[in-house]
Amino acid sequence: MNHQGGWALIKNTWQSWLQHRGFFFLLAFGWMLPLLVYLFVWSAAAEGGTLNGLSQDTLASYYLVLILVNQLTYTTANWTVGDIIRYGQINRWLLQPMSPIYHALSSEIAGKVVFMLFSIPITGILALIIQPQFNLTWQKGLLFIPSLLLAWMLRFFWGYWLALMAFWATRADSLLALQDSLVFLIGGHLAPIKLLPDWMQLPARILPFRYMSAFPVEILTSQLSYDEIFLGLVIQAGWAFLSVMIYRLVWRHGVRHYEAVGG
Amino acid sequence: MRYIKLIGAFFKVSAQAEMAYRVNFFLRLFYAFLNLLTGVLSLVVIFNQVEMIKGWDLPSAMGLLGVYLLLGALRGLFISPSLESVAGMDGEIWQGTFDFTLLRPVDKLFLVSFRHWRIFALVDLLIGLGVLGYAIHLMGAALTLGAVIHFIITLLCGVILLYAALLAFSALVFWNSGFLFTWVINDLFQLARYPLGLYPGWLRLILTWIIPVGLMTTIPAQALAGSLSTGMLILTVLFTIGAFLGATWLFRQGLQKYASASS
Repeated sequence: MNHQGGWALIKNTWQSWLQHRGFFFLLAFGWMLPLLVYLFVWSAAAEGGTLNGLSQDTLASYYLVLILVNQLTYTTANWTVGDIIRYGQINRWLLQPMSPIYHALSSEIAGKVVFMLFSIPITGILALIIQPQFNLTWQKGLLFIPSLLLAWMLRFFWGYWLALMAFWATRADSLLALQDSLVFLIGGHLAPIKLLPDWMQLPARILPFRYMSAFPVEILTSQLSYDEIFLGLVIQAGWAFLSVMIYRLVWRHGVRHYEAVGG
Repeated sequence: MRYIKLIGAFFKVSAQAEMAYRVNFFLRLFYAFLNLLTGVLSLVVIFNQVEMIKGWDLPSAMGLLGVYLLLGALRGLFISPSLESVAGMDGEIWQGTFDFTLLRPVDKLFLVSFRHWRIFALVDLLIGLGVLGYAIHLMGAALTLGAVIHFIITLLCGVILLYAALLAFSALVFWNSGFLFTWVINDLFQLARYPLGLYPGWLRLILTWIIPVGLMTTIPAQALAGSLSTGMLILTVLFTIGAFLGATWLFRQGLQKYASASS
């Protein structure tokens, strides 16, 4: 496998995206807003007390960190891969002497750099305005890192195999929209998992959506006991592993099924 | 009369173009269903935790959601498609084809506002009406005739305000054609999903007087819940008239500034 070519591609994409940063800043702004809405909603709801043990400060810091983590794990490549398959542009990728996943990875890394250039200052300013208090221990900070990496891996490969469904169905992007809705509802965006009604608790804790962005944030903002953290990490690692396996399977069959359109 | 006939013709042409893609209809149904599901479940989750947030209970918040969905549907039905085709990404101003639009023998503002229709948005319109009906059902006997009249007046104001805001942001494209102003206002519109009172003071001021997305939904919902004062009603009507005049003025100024981009 040609890793050098892959790295060159990554650098190239990153530099070209920086030239269009206004566009990507707008995208980042759009992703931030729904979470900001729920930051304010829950802050208003928890005024002068706690909700299921979560104070106004915890809720505010949860959402501020979630804004960043969500953008770090969200993958734009998944939306474009489907189009590239549909329009037959993937022919070019298939001919290149490196794995086509480098194309997705390069836009991933380029995206993270550009989005963070916008989102870190903005959340910083919001943190100064809202001034949420939360105590961070170094143990929790340390556990946050592997869970963040697993979250990225899970979300990237899970979305990627959904996007690859475009080999069989032309409008597979509706699957991605469904995934976004599920991440919103039971993945900790609409409400921290602890505040969901009882009947939503079990699906939220077992299905992969919570582990795509909310779980690392729950660790960092001290909402979980060590038992809960370790159980969560096991579930998260399991889903991440499974998503890589599914991706490999789908890719192999998809390429075989694919017939070139255009050139 | 001529203008009403023209709208009929625009509608028919758009409908015929869309009818050619029948699978899209089912996809639109699917997205509309997701939209309804996330909207209603959000309220269920929030009011499962608290009975009331800043004076809003479940029925009145449901009323606000209905207004939000209704306005969103009208935006998707013709305001956004028409304005986006001029000022959006790859729109006529980017492409330079706006010259052909200017040459048509009708009022430019009319043409820019009503040209394109997305008939599948009628499904969203029905859903919005349904949620509104459900909210009224939840309110039960609390609804008075006066409240209904106030509601209809303020809802009309909401539609006009939405149109004015979208038009004003689209007009900015004449000054900076590279920036996607229509995206900014689309993003900010999401803040209208919840009552203004939930937001902190500084944000509330912005969402009321500067970018009045908050006003569009909160005021009609207050009227429906019967908690709108007569003073606020008059102020809203006056503000709406001012915003409409301001936006059309800005658009005509921009039109003066427009210089063809084609060679």
